[in-house]
Amino acid sequence: MNANTTIELTQFLFEMTTKSEREWLENKTKTNVLDLMTAFVAAPRFLSKKNISYDDKAKGNLIPHLPGYQVDGWSLVRLARVWLLLQIPQDPKEECIKNIETLFDTAELNELVALYSALPLLPYPWEWLSRATDAVRSNMGFVFDAISILNPYPELYFPESAWNQLVLKTIFNGKPIHLIYGLDRRKNKELAISISDFIDERFAAGRKIPPQILRLLAPFSNEEHSSTLIRMFASEESGEKEAAALVCFESKEPKLRSLLANQPELELSIQNGELDWSKLESIA
Amino acid sequence: MCQNPNEPKKNPSHFESIEHSEDTPTHRDLLWEDYENLIQGMRFFDPHIHMVSRTTDDYQMMVKAGIVAIIEPAFWVGQPRTGLSSFKDYYSSLVGWERFRSSQFGIKHYCTMGLNSREANNERLAEEVMEILPLFAFKEGVVGIGEIGFDDQTVLEEKYYRLQLELAKKAKLPVQIHTPHRDKKRGTERSMSIAIEHGLDPSWVVVDHNNEETVKSVLDKGFWAAFTIYPFTKMGNERMVSVVEKYGPERIMINSSADWGISDPLAIPKTAALMMQRGIPKEVIRKVTYQNAIDAFAKSGQIDVRDFDLEFSPDPNAKFHGNSVLRGGQQPVVNKNSLFIQ
Ligand SMILES: [Zn+2]
Repeated sequence: MNANTTIELTQFLFEMTTKSEREWLENKTKTNVLDLMTAFVAAPRFLSKKNISYDDKAKGNLIPHLPGYQVDGWSLVRLARVWLLLQIPQDPKEECIKNIETLFDTAELNELVALYSALPLLPYPWEWLSRATDAVRSNMGFVFDAISILNPYPELYFPESAWNQLVLKTIFNGKPIHLIYGLDRRKNKELAISISDFIDERFAAGRKIPPQILRLLAPFSNEEHSSTLIRMFASEESGEKEAAALVCFESKEPKLRSLLANQPELELSIQNGELDWSKLESIA
Repeated sequence: MCQNPNEPKKNPSHFESIEHSEDTPTHRDLLWEDYENLIQGMRFFDPHIHMVSRTTDDYQMMVKAGIVAIIEPAFWVGQPRTGLSSFKDYYSSLVGWERFRSSQFGIKHYCTMGLNSREANNERLAEEVMEILPLFAFKEGVVGIGEIGFDDQTVLEEKYYRLQLELAKKAKLPVQIHTPHRDKKRGTERSMSIAIEHGLDPSWVVVDHNNEETVKSVLDKGFWAAFTIYPFTKMGNERMVSVVEKYGPERIMINSSADWGISDPLAIPKTAALMMQRGIPKEVIRKVTYQNAIDAFAKSGQIDVRDFDLEFSPDPNAKFHGNSVLRGGQQPVVNKNSLFIQ
């Protein structure tokens, strides 16, 4: 967290608030830490219930060192809570950690959402790692989304196993994986193996496969995947066919490349740039 | 609770009186099924009930009897808590799991937050609790500071009662006062005069567990007078009817205070049925079993009656922390006619 972040976020927040809301927020920064923490809890009593929306092109990057971190669609209360967390004194370190831990321990659902949303901006980021991986285990939908969707924290701090768990759970929950921040940057072999197993299980159960998950498999595909891909080409779901084609196209295995030769139309549309992974993204 | 109701108890509940423990419930001979139809279509608000100690069956009966919303005050769970974490977990359950469970039955759940008088006597722990209490008092759906006040009327009870009155003022929340079982009359007077001393507007204070001895003074001073219909106690619902007949409906409200003791989560609808039977006007009944409680606690800014005016269709498939109210093998209420299990 650096000073610039606070300035940008403050400016943005204050653009969204009324005069009296702004005054209430500003007053909170002038008091003691307990008042600040209480303000975090009490925010819905003093701020309007509206949601924030902005044109992200016009806004550029809200947090310069975290491109793509966005607050579009958040409630004003959530944004204000994140901002209030950044006002908690960072020194001494133990005090700061204790205060934030207390907020976690006493939080209700909406407060948890704000806390997890703030993680990539909080000081001492490594201290929140176990909280963050806990959130992935949570089955509270809003909490899971707060850590997994458009949140830079997992990409920056999760070890591979926790990262993979997050991606797999996102798939299990039927949520759009392309909204995971840094998804393409953290593809890995272990994850590809799990994805492959998952696809086989779905086939066995006669269930559909969310086609875009194959993007995680593509860079690690090998001959073993040919039978899976053949089945997908035979599928009645166009998305499954298209995903199989994209895997073959990206593959360096001649055997997989040759599968694509049997699908000239799909091959052509990939070559023409008409078909890519983004066509398979769906907001569930 | 495995106690014989005819024996004095070491840990009497809200409204029990050791001296009068031979009292029997005044309404036990009335068969509820025979009277249920008297209150068809009425809706009730129970401003004092401890659902944490109640079962899912209770929720089902409550909703069937017309209870649309409840307030769960933070109180004594039957044995003293030994550490701050238990308080945190308990308070969290009031705004978390219990609220969720209630919503599964279409009942709107609010709560009041406070350090109870019994546990105020553990000073070390009480200090710690007071530190985290503001973090709970300001949460959404918290409609008051409660239930606070006196139990044994000790010095420490007074200290934390006063501190919490200050918190209520700061948080702009109504106060829900628990009045003691022993020496009730003096305890009630003392609670009220301290509240006034701290500058609280009596119209922001609900004095709970009243009886014929205390009601006049409470009303005269401008406080809300709540009555707890709790079996084996001084206040059965037949006498409640007489109180309403005598004092009218202004600033009077009825609750069940149902908890882990022998108590009745249907105390309000049953009392309403009895009042109907005795010919008390419907509007009077509506006030004491619904509207007054809303008026008193809506000062918190946290109650929107539209939340329970709307036709409620809870989603039985919803989960809280990954847990459903429904256990293995149980089917959600919806889709029960489907042969397919997907
Ligand atoms: Zn109680």
